[in-house]
Amino acid sequence: MSIFEYNGSALVAMVGKNCFAIASDRRLGVQLQTVATDFQRIFKIHDKLFVGLSGLATDAQTLYQRLVFRHKLYQLREERDMKPETFASLVSAILYEKRFGPYFCQPVIAGLGDEDKPFICTMDSIGAKELAKDFVVAGTASESLYGACESMFKPDMEPEELFETISQALLSSVDRDCLSGWGGHVYVVTPTEVTERILKGRMD
Amino acid sequence: MAKVEVDAPPKGGFSFDLCRRNDMLSKKGVKPPSYLKTGTTIVGLIFQDGVILGADTRATEGPIVADKNCEKIHYMAPNIYCCGAGTAADTEAVTDTISSQLKLHRYHTGRESRVVTALTLLKSHLFRYQGHVSAALVLGGVDVTGPHLHTIYPHGSTDTLPFATMGSGSLAAMAVFESKYHEGLSKDEGVKLVCEAICSGIFNDLGSGSNVDICVITKGQKEYLRNHLSPNPRTYVSSKGYTFTKKTEVLLTKITPLKKLVDVIEGGDAMEE
Amino acid sequence: MDLNAPHSMGTTIIGVTYDGGVVLGADSRTSTGMYVANRASDKITQLTDNVYICRSGSAADSQIVSDYVRYFLHQHTIQLGQPATVKVAANLVRLLSYNNKNMLQTGMIVGGWDKYEGGKIYGIPLGGTILEQPFAIGGSGSSYLYGFFDQAWKEGMSKDEAEQLVVKAVSLAIARDGASGGVVRTVIINSDGVTRNFYPSDKLPLWHEELEPQNSLLDILSAASPEPMNI
Repeated sequence: MSIFEYNGSALVAMVGKNCFAIASDRRLGVQLQTVATDFQRIFKIHDKLFVGLSGLATDAQTLYQRLVFRHKLYQLREERDMKPETFASLVSAILYEKRFGPYFCQPVIAGLGDEDKPFICTMDSIGAKELAKDFVVAGTASESLYGACESMFKPDMEPEELFETISQALLSSVDRDCLSGWGGHVYVVTPTEVTERILKGRMD
Repeated sequence: MAKVEVDAPPKGGFSFDLCRRNDMLSKKGVKPPSYLKTGTTIVGLIFQDGVILGADTRATEGPIVADKNCEKIHYMAPNIYCCGAGTAADTEAVTDTISSQLKLHRYHTGRESRVVTALTLLKSHLFRYQGHVSAALVLGGVDVTGPHLHTIYPHGSTDTLPFATMGSGSLAAMAVFESKYHEGLSKDEGVKLVCEAICSGIFNDLGSGSNVDICVITKGQKEYLRNHLSPNPRTYVSSKGYTFTKKTEVLLTKITPLKKLVDVIEGGDAMEE
Repeated sequence: MDLNAPHSMGTTIIGVTYDGGVVLGADSRTSTGMYVANRASDKITQLTDNVYICRSGSAADSQIVSDYVRYFLHQHTIQLGQPATVKVAANLVRLLSYNNKNMLQTGMIVGGWDKYEGGKIYGIPLGGTILEQPFAIGGSGSSYLYGFFDQAWKEGMSKDEAEQLVVKAVSLAIARDGASGGVVRTVIINSDGVTRNFYPSDKLPLWHEELEPQNSLLDILSAASPEPMNI
């Protein structure tokens, strides 16, 4: 068993027209046994910046605490929010610091940057950044997510269509993964508002 | 009272905090994670007035193509670039740290960086970690002493060559170089040969794929040709796009309007004393 | 085939003293596992104006050791105000090899000329021993050469005799040792200074069952129309 499969997870982020969406499943398991069905894997860093942490839940929560801590220090020192690009470099540096004893956690970062330009990015567990223009995926359902997103994604979607696309991609992918599922958690972020939705999904 | 440890921002260097836990896990039969790799073709050659570097753009994670268009030609200094193969995080980190050391060195000396300086810094970093930082590099640049091309292996050994290849596609690319390279190539001939070598990696090595990136460095100038060739365009785009017949079932919706940031107007009246 | 294997030099290196100086010789193959990573490498590295070193084993380790020794010898030359002796150079190599013997996988031959002792060869094998010898051989190809040197090395050879012996020996080892190959490089050091020579494969003698070098098969086929095959 790979340690990434211990709790199970599915994460995806997509870019739309002046907006982005980030979505995760809601299951927390211990191998094949489901423990919780309202687990939070996507965290808000500030209004226009979200991070999803797939992989081992304990490491995801520890890492989230460290990221919030570092972002708050930045806010105090700079009196502004971090740009998504900067935050991605911070996450990368924190992960690479533990190059020889990593957090078992693969992050997905999504945010609106300067002039509300959407930014998405993922990393492996030691902080190798992978910048994409369209979508990024992570977690145990990543293989099926790659396939679903590859065919469903189209550029410049409006928020409503983006929500439908990311939700359908997520739900159809987690249905083919034993270790993730139990509905979904979707954030669609536009320059003016954040829409958070809980999706209904299969309960097996 | 128990000692309170504050998790202050670290000062640099690696942290081995989680090594014992991860060791324990792997002793219990948990597989260690696989990292993002660049099963790669990277090449470089010296032509009549400089150096040409080339790379494919595929990043892999096991058998999965994780990134179809990543950048493997890294900036070191305005006159020096470096292609990286191996673990993606390592090539990225090692080129970034050395490039910042080079910049400080330039401020200190007020001179253009030399390729040998970059070479020495890279090889000492890699030697220190005894091959555990797995970065295989092709370093090229033009400095006051002329054009230079080097290869650097993960264990810290270096070679100086007129043409070089690295990564899993190095054999395919080297076959092209060995049969067609000669001294005094023109720029166009050089770019064509580098393209051919990278393409032979893209098509014959499974770890390499997608597009060709090229960087031409000559005395006093450089040309970064991102996606110079795209021999593998997407062929399966549906013209209609996807439509969903049934709307996604939503259990709960929460809309948070974002506050408009207050514009701070610079200037204004000075405070009275 | 393991491309992740450490970069190493399955090598043939030789150092020979003669009347008035030394001749160093080496092949030019560097390999990673079964792949020839560099077919024209230079394994005879300069330490000072009058001292050179032949490197074998791990490329990374031997480069680091010779880089450090070169650095120390430059300091030493400045402090002393005159060229370092071969003995000093060899002792520095030994010191690093011995003190870090658990970390290093490298055997080296130091050779050079100085005004006190003339031409000298020092072999520094794996554990960090130092051996002053009239001739030294090292690397994977050396096992094919011990008997040959016992027979062929003579006291008081001339410079040309010594160089011819070195070239012959390296080419013999190249013929038999799969990890050695490419060209033969020599360095001659004596009171007059240093001479570097280079012998490409078509200038080397042919040994038992070796074939004449020929152009690429593709060139031969395109040059003249090949004889049609008959049954």
